[in-house]
Amino acid sequence: MPHIEIDGRELDVAAGTTILEAARQLGIYIPVFCYHPKLSIAANCRMCLVDVEKQWKPLPACATPCADGMKIQTRSAKAKAAQQGVLEFLLINHPLDCPVCDQGGECPLQDITMGYANPHSFYQEEKRVVADKDIGPLIATEMTRCIQCTRCVRFGQEIAGVMELGVVGRGEKEAISTYVSKAVSSELSGNMIDLCPVGALTSKPFRYKARSWELKHTPSLCPHCSTGCNTDVQSLGKDVLRVLPRANESVNEEWICDKGRFAYAGLSAEDRGLTPLLRVNGRLQAASWGEALQAAAGGLESVVRKHGPEAIAALISPESSNEELFLFQALFRALGVTHIEHRLRQTDFRADAAMPLYPALNMSLEDLERERTILLCHAFPREQQPLTNHRLRKAALAGATIYAIDTVLRPFNFPVQGLCPETGDDLGTYRRLEELLQGATARAEEGALARLATALRETEDPLLLIGNDALQHPQAAELLRAIQGVATAAGARLGWLANAGNAAGAWLLGCVPHRRPGGETVPGQRTPSWSTAHKAFVLYGVEPEYDSLAVEAAQQALQEAEFVLALGHFTGNLPEQVQVFLPLASWAESAGSFINNEGRLQSYRAAVKPAGEARPGWKVLRVLADHLGVAGLAFNDLDEVQSAWQGALGDFPLDVPAFAAFPELAPEAAAPLPEGHLRLLGDWTIYTADPLVRRAAPLRRPAVCRMHPQDLQARGLGSVIELRRAGRPVVTLPVQADASVPRGCLWLPLGTAESVALGGLQSSCTVGRASSRQAI
Amino acid sequence: MLSDQALAAIAAERRKYPADQARSALLAALRIAQEEHGWLPTELIEEVAQVLEIPSIQAFEVATFYTMYDLKPVGKHKLCVCGSVSCFLNGSDDILAHLQKRLGIGIGETTADGLFTLQEVECLGACKDAPVLHLGDQYLERLTPEGIDALIEQLRGGSSDVR
Repeated sequence: MPHIEIDGRELDVAAGTTILEAARQLGIYIPVFCYHPKLSIAANCRMCLVDVEKQWKPLPACATPCADGMKIQTRSAKAKAAQQGVLEFLLINHPLDCPVCDQGGECPLQDITMGYANPHSFYQEEKRVVADKDIGPLIATEMTRCIQCTRCVRFGQEIAGVMELGVVGRGEKEAISTYVSKAVSSELSGNMIDLCPVGALTSKPFRYKARSWELKHTPSLCPHCSTGCNTDVQSLGKDVLRVLPRANESVNEEWICDKGRFAYAGLSAEDRGLTPLLRVNGRLQAASWGEALQAAAGGLESVVRKHGPEAIAALISPESSNEELFLFQALFRALGVTHIEHRLRQTDFRADAAMPLYPALNMSLEDLERERTILLCHAFPREQQPLTNHRLRKAALAGATIYAIDTVLRPFNFPVQGLCPETGDDLGTYRRLEELLQGATARAEEGALARLATALRETEDPLLLIGNDALQHPQAAELLRAIQGVATAAGARLGWLANAGNAAGAWLLGCVPHRRPGGETVPGQRTPSWSTAHKAFVLYGVEPEYDSLAVEAAQQALQEAEFVLALGHFTGNLPEQVQVFLPLASWAESAGSFINNEGRLQSYRAAVKPAGEARPGWKVLRVLADHLGVAGLAFNDLDEVQSAWQGALGDFPLDVPAFAAFPELAPEAAAPLPEGHLRLLGDWTIYTADPLVRRAAPLRRPAVCRMHPQDLQARGLGSVIELRRAGRPVVTLPVQADASVPRGCLWLPLGTAESVALGGLQSSCTVGRASSRQAI
Repeated sequence: MLSDQALAAIAAERRKYPADQARSALLAALRIAQEEHGWLPTELIEEVAQVLEIPSIQAFEVATFYTMYDLKPVGKHKLCVCGSVSCFLNGSDDILAHLQKRLGIGIGETTADGLFTLQEVECLGACKDAPVLHLGDQYLERLTPEGIDALIEQLRGGSSDVR
């Protein structure tokens, strides 16, 4: 163990510790720009130069390992001269535009200049100017400010897993650039803004909105996926102006994805619901809370009187807080409603009895990094749980072998051995894998599957993770049972990648028809959510057409409903059958708690006041309960709601069996496709996954569908195609050739205007060459 | 854009390095591509990156760093004048100015007859004989304006042996 001395203080450090790390252990500050603990060491800014005894030249502390007996001075005359020299050089070409720079006030270059620079410079020549680049709608560039620390370049290579930025040119012409003015597309790109130690990369949506010191910081959570990243919501007055990650090593380290960072832009969307609305003479008109609540209660009561409470379907978004979820089911269960549901992205519920207490990862996120063999079952965490995906990437870089079975091949940012059956028979793939694991002999064409079977058999305790697409599968029940079969045969552990921000909370707190809070079974037969047997619908934070897998069924069921009550944040995509709309405060405007994929309970506070007359969901539900005459929910503050749900739920385990016993599943034959039709596949994309992110203008990306190149060729299709389906408008979409899409199928991005127009994935469509490039 | 011959030559370079270090073959691959095509258009750099299975930006970084890679078409004779410190102190700026005047082009430009391209490059490692110019596979040292005039005449006359 090297024994060293820094500024006269002695210390024993582990072999390999750098001077910088040792100094940090002692609490001695050494200024840095290019060094970052999560990135590789570049030592190119030279800001951390220190004076080491018996060394003629000062050494970079970030890249110099401690040797036994080293005596280091960080503030000697030599060290100071080196620091001043480096800063003088860095400032030669740095513009003096701090007053108009968004980084001003939170800029390491500004701070370190104040602390370490010689106020006089010898430089009298011209400064260089670097052409700005347009690298997309999220990151604003001011490349003249760049000091070439390469943190952004290393982040792309090492963390995001896609190298999009690089150092081009040489000497005076050196600059950070993308490849020939391409936009940066990584889902983690926003972190480069935080990493940039100067104002070269700043947030485009936040540009010139405020000075950093004016902002109020509120510790918050990201509501968009089940990783549960910790965030810092920064606001000025009534507006959320930006969202940054809050460091939590066990959850999101110090990163967040672009969805979590920029979705706040949707809060001020034009169609934000600011007042309660009532339908009068066929049109929604602003109303007072009193009128609206009365109408809501009246509408529900009349349906209960006429058809009984079973005729009400109460549907809630799994991005709601625990408090909202608990109150929602308590209110409607008290009314006698049985259909309480958060799973609109599932159509096959035959395996309900086998579902776990909640979709638990069954391990900590940090432990994911140490797995050796992982099989991703119909999962694409890169878009669905980006920071969970980051842990998987770390596992892969550390030598884990990661396999994926899915209907189409997904673009992961780490090496994945993907198995996508050409025939589209993904269910058969799992079943065959189980047979191989049980000792069946592999056929010649099954090489990849046989290798996977061998890998699973040879690894002690491999891990299977079940993703969003498994539940979205038309034969989800069989698929899940087949996955369980594989796990049993392989002796593997099973974990769920929970498919929505608070899916865990929704399950635990009874927002499914067959379970009460805590998992107690409710007996009885189920109807699908979008059934015409339901005469009234309560839509809480959901947009039926954009958030459902069964778009056509949703439209039909709503068409025949007698009463539709919507509670939500936006009015733009409200079905025309909605009679009453109650505006809800968003997650940034109210307090609450979420349970993440690990089972970690985390709470957040309100950052700003609710927009317009919107009110926090728990208050709205509580008052609605009053109007409906439901007793026992008269909570006066959020703490009371919290104690109520915690009392009802009790302690819940962090490790839960991934499946209970499966019920008997009757085989279902898929209907054959009409001649010439393509089967529709699809998934929500990262930026279409929920109502808020769909409205975030900076995150909007054009919808693109995908087809097998041979199908494209056989039909003579170009880069834009027309999708036709009986009784539906013709949809025009750009198409991309993708050899992993099974033949005879078309992959459609869901949650888009195009997928809604086409009626979702329920049946098939024909395609043709587009007559013009005009989209719908 | 790459011929089978060039692809084979790149593959041979690729085999010199470990399987996970394709980037090591990049310098040679870009050189092979440029020798075949004369210069390196963006699409060619991208193709090289694809052949080596590395991100395009990595190939672009290298191609823009080294002055021996040409990102624009160049003339028959590429005059590369060193502008680094020893040459600078010995008057490389005068040499560059003289060349610009004589050829009627700026740095990085090519004459209309396609004969000359002028470039300023970093240290050529011949400081003892500064200022230095690099032409094809030859070094011209201790440059003077008069020597430059003679050189241009000689090259215009069709000779490229200027030693």
